[in-house]
Amino acid sequence: MMIRVICILLPFLLGGLAQAADLDFVQEVRPVLSDSCYNCHGPDAKARKGKLRLDDRAAAFKSEVLTNDEMLKRLTSEDPDERMPPPDSKRVLSLKDRAKLVQWLKAGAKWPEDDRHWAFVPPGRSALPKIKNEAWVRNEIDSFILARLERKGWQPSPQTDKATLLRRVTFDLTGLPPTIEELDDFLNDDAPDAYEKAVDRLLQSSQYGEHMALGWMEASRYADTDGYQNDRLRYMWVWRDWLIKALNDNMPFDRFVTEQMAGDLLPDRNFYTQVATGYNRNHRINSEGGSIPDEWIVEYVADRVETMGTMFLGLTLTCSRCHDHKYDPVGQKDFYRLFAFFNNIAEAGLGPNNGNSPPFIKVPKSWPNLSEEESEFVVPDPPKVKVVQTSVPRPQPGAPDTVMVLHERSNPRPTYLLNRGLYDQPDKSEKLQPATPPVLGVWKKEWPKNRIGLSQWLLDPKHPLTARVTINRLWQHYFGMGLVKTSENFGVQGELPSHPALLDWLATEFVRRDWNIKAMHKLIVTSATYRQASEALTLHLEEDPENRLLAHGPRKRLSPYQIRDAALFNSGLLVEKIGGPSVKPYMPPRIWKSISNATYKQDKGEKLYRRSMYTYWRRTVPPPTMMTLNAAAREVCIVRNDQTTTPLQALTMMNNVTFVESARFLAERVMKTKGLSHSRRIAHAFRMVTSREPTPGETKRLLADLRFYLDDFRRRPEAAKQLLTVGEKKADPMLDAVTLASYALVANTILNLDEAIMQD
Amino acid sequence: MEAMEEFRIQQTRRAFLERSTLGLGSIALGSLLHGAEKPRNQIGGLEGFPHFAPKAKRVIYLFQSGGPSQMDLFDPKPHLADHFGEEVPESIYPAERKTTMTSGQASFPLAPSTFKFARHGASGIHLSNAMPHLAKVIDEVCVIKSMYTEAINHDPAATLFQTGSVIPGRPSMGAWASYGLGSVNADLPSFVALTSGTGGQPLYDRLWGAGFLPGRFQGVKFRGQGDPILDLYNPAGVTRAQRRRMLDALGELNAKQASRYNDPAIATRIAQYELAFRMQMSVPELIDFKSEPKSTLDLYGPEATKVGKYAYNCLLARRLAERGVRFIQLFHRGWDSHGGAPKQIAARCRDTDQATAGLLRDLKQRGMLEDTLVVWGGEFGRTVYCQGKLTRTNYGRDHHPNCFTYWMAGGGVKGGLSYGETDDYSVNVVDKPVHVHDLQATIMHQLGIDHERLTYRYQGRYFRLTDVHGKVVKDVLS
Repeated sequence: MMIRVICILLPFLLGGLAQAADLDFVQEVRPVLSDSCYNCHGPDAKARKGKLRLDDRAAAFKSEVLTNDEMLKRLTSEDPDERMPPPDSKRVLSLKDRAKLVQWLKAGAKWPEDDRHWAFVPPGRSALPKIKNEAWVRNEIDSFILARLERKGWQPSPQTDKATLLRRVTFDLTGLPPTIEELDDFLNDDAPDAYEKAVDRLLQSSQYGEHMALGWMEASRYADTDGYQNDRLRYMWVWRDWLIKALNDNMPFDRFVTEQMAGDLLPDRNFYTQVATGYNRNHRINSEGGSIPDEWIVEYVADRVETMGTMFLGLTLTCSRCHDHKYDPVGQKDFYRLFAFFNNIAEAGLGPNNGNSPPFIKVPKSWPNLSEEESEFVVPDPPKVKVVQTSVPRPQPGAPDTVMVLHERSNPRPTYLLNRGLYDQPDKSEKLQPATPPVLGVWKKEWPKNRIGLSQWLLDPKHPLTARVTINRLWQHYFGMGLVKTSENFGVQGELPSHPALLDWLATEFVRRDWNIKAMHKLIVTSATYRQASEALTLHLEEDPENRLLAHGPRKRLSPYQIRDAALFNSGLLVEKIGGPSVKPYMPPRIWKSISNATYKQDKGEKLYRRSMYTYWRRTVPPPTMMTLNAAAREVCIVRNDQTTTPLQALTMMNNVTFVESARFLAERVMKTKGLSHSRRIAHAFRMVTSREPTPGETKRLLADLRFYLDDFRRRPEAAKQLLTVGEKKADPMLDAVTLASYALVANTILNLDEAIMQD
Repeated sequence: MEAMEEFRIQQTRRAFLERSTLGLGSIALGSLLHGAEKPRNQIGGLEGFPHFAPKAKRVIYLFQSGGPSQMDLFDPKPHLADHFGEEVPESIYPAERKTTMTSGQASFPLAPSTFKFARHGASGIHLSNAMPHLAKVIDEVCVIKSMYTEAINHDPAATLFQTGSVIPGRPSMGAWASYGLGSVNADLPSFVALTSGTGGQPLYDRLWGAGFLPGRFQGVKFRGQGDPILDLYNPAGVTRAQRRRMLDALGELNAKQASRYNDPAIATRIAQYELAFRMQMSVPELIDFKSEPKSTLDLYGPEATKVGKYAYNCLLARRLAERGVRFIQLFHRGWDSHGGAPKQIAARCRDTDQATAGLLRDLKQRGMLEDTLVVWGGEFGRTVYCQGKLTRTNYGRDHHPNCFTYWMAGGGVKGGLSYGETDDYSVNVVDKPVHVHDLQATIMHQLGIDHERLTYRYQGRYFRLTDVHGKVVKDVLS
């Protein structure tokens, strides 16, 4: 194996030597310096060794190590006392990276004067690149993608077939598959704008808002409980309702963010904008008796800063909480200046024993259809902290008809830098005022130094990050991977964009189109890039296995929510009601009780079949089916999920009650379609799940299986009846149990196909 | 940019080629969506792991959730009997380390232990009479009386022990071990969590979670009710033959997809379905204790065959260990003795003492103790002062982070050693302090891992279990 690796790498290493003089500092050298050297020779003054810093051009040259051979000597020395990084630091500098630095130094250590990290320079709008195959291009996105492919000598893939395309775009925009009727309509529509019409229909559907809300909910760490120890109940679904509606109404992104960040402060504030601020209350709250309130207020405020960092700035601000950032130019003081924006909420350190934590407001019964009077801004009660159990300071709990919001205290809480991030170690020598890190763009004087101003800063057209980071997540939604793969980190340690000019073009286009989210969705899904067939050539697989160059369309696994929703949808079980409180579908026995003091009380009837975004989310015991399929845990902000394949997923897909019940009712659906032969029924079920007709070979195989199951269950009719009792919904007694159970197993097979849970 | 992209493509090509040579039995095959993974060896461990020859092939960690009382179990302070009810002065017990459950108390009266202590074994280690079974195997055990932590409440303290940080989001210890070392049994997960006990402090899935590591490294929780592993059993009425039939169809139809889309992830999915099918056999065999002779069951006590009890979990732990499971994490709830401590502590010892000692004996008689590291302890200790009303026979104790006791046995640890000392009040460590991160570094060391070199890059930073801390406690190693 090792030999093979060397064989592959050797030509590269040699090639690397030949073009050494071309090494680009920002793109190629600094990432290595950052990864291997900045821990001790970077922005963090306290951790700096030998007074040497390699993150600052002037300081690095002043030290002369770049030019006097000192660094070269340290990199090439075999003496453990000399060698850098020191062996006992346990930092690994690979052979090729070491060779890179050596070559850079030997070529004169070229370090441009403007060495700003690419992501801290506001996006510029470059001209569209020149391309050869102009006929392929449908919009600007395609020019950028094609130019890169052509440079490599590759061609894009042809458009995928219509059925696959409709399935792809329907899942991407609504989280659900197309119905057979929608498929047939589309296949029979030969008009040139047939696809665009379908896209418009999907963008207008209310399922669009539900589906798009999910990513935002995961990033906003939305849950139905507080998240620590006894994990007390909270009521935040009203915020989720607001979110779905805002997305369905296509609220411009700048307004969407501003309402969530500062809806309690806006001049035109009202009840709805107040509800929007629940975004910044979705963090965990500790209600464990014995906890020290001041300590936890710090955690809540820090969580808001960190979430904003990940979602809008694509930066790991967390690092700067305890010390200056090791890699990015964000100092510890910068962190606490951002902290100051969120440090003035009229909140309590401990949560109540169940219920919302102040500040919260009462939600009228008429929600979401409020009268004019009810739509007005409400002043929440201040926290009324009562000491219980000798010394536990608890606030008043908010009842189920309340929702948590932001509200400012009348006397501002002072903000200090906290040494090592600890609540009891403030540096009281300097009181810190709200401010943003200077490296991330200017702060205009006219902006108020509060969360309104903070939103204005985030959404300023010149801001280097917000639009890029948002567009990149949008791209990730469609292609399974962002143009910047590390969608959570645009900093020096993040990955470089695969198509930097495209990223910037999209970011500026987003601003140019007045932050119109649906317009950006439409731009992407109508591109030729998105419409490509997803079959990969062996050449692609070998040279670009992650499909970064997009020589073919995306092939990605459905999200856990989509997998469950699609199964319910195809079986006709899905209850498509929008919004409302969370529901409690099937769970394993004693799911909560076995490790906590709470009991899960499963719902009945239609609440078992709502979309998965409404499933009750207990943070310390999250829904296991969703977790098995790689949902985010909702503890902290997560914008990128891992997608590993495990045997537990197979067990869930085969045996979990929801999926077995779905198989039963998918079987009923096709059995009740009149006048169909066995093979037509199978084909019908197959098409509902995969959006395509099975091949004769596939039908034949499944038909043989059906006969096998029929024979089997005929010998064991009681077993057939047993299978039909899985799940609450009763089987239609008019149908023959043996036949129905046999079809259920075929449906179970179809729902477990790779194609059923993949988006091609 | 051009050169950079070419470089990256070379890198991913390398990762791809390496992964495609892995056997189908390996759990390590991931989808290419997150293709930044490091090269892995045949059992799915990282290249270069273990860093050195391990003393322990596996770990059984008996976590006693709630915080067992050190001065009622391991750390006798007999002279305190003469100071019953006297105020513990602030010079001894600092106010800022008191939780808000007791910091408002008008007085902090000293509560001497009601338990009797004696020396046991050739080593003469002190134990309270609540643990007569452990007393008989004490020469296998290294008692560390000088543990300390910063966390003062259950959730942060337990999260610190299991993940190295008080703030949720980091991988648990077992996930780290699986990530580094891979799995030697292709039919079972390499990290298993078992829970027992009711009431008292709740547990959280994150204590055996994968944090930011890929999800496949999370601990698989065995359940005390219903399917032992979530959705393990076929639905009612469905036979194994039917399932085989279905898997054959899936294999056939999915293979067609694989050749159409040229997607290596499909081969992984087919393999995982086959592994699931094998688990449907291996797990029921695993939890079937019929083959265990009475003499073995007797070691663990009368609850050895009661599903979901601590004793059952101890026996299951041994069976998992035999089958090559790398990290077995037990959690037993109910040690949080704020009130009625003497009764509660005695009850928890009745739940656990015989089975714990039985596990050590059983491992020993099979020759497995020498390469199995057994760890016992909770998230913190208890206060010497009384919480609530103090009487001669009853007291409560609040959380105490400054000193408490852990013990380890087997796996290259010195048996019959008492390590570290606390002050006269069991309030502070006075000799050989061992921090949570030190314990974690030591456990990793016994598995052949240098804790400073087991890192994972997340959000641009290299994270590790021990954060930037942790020293291997070499003194306790044989």
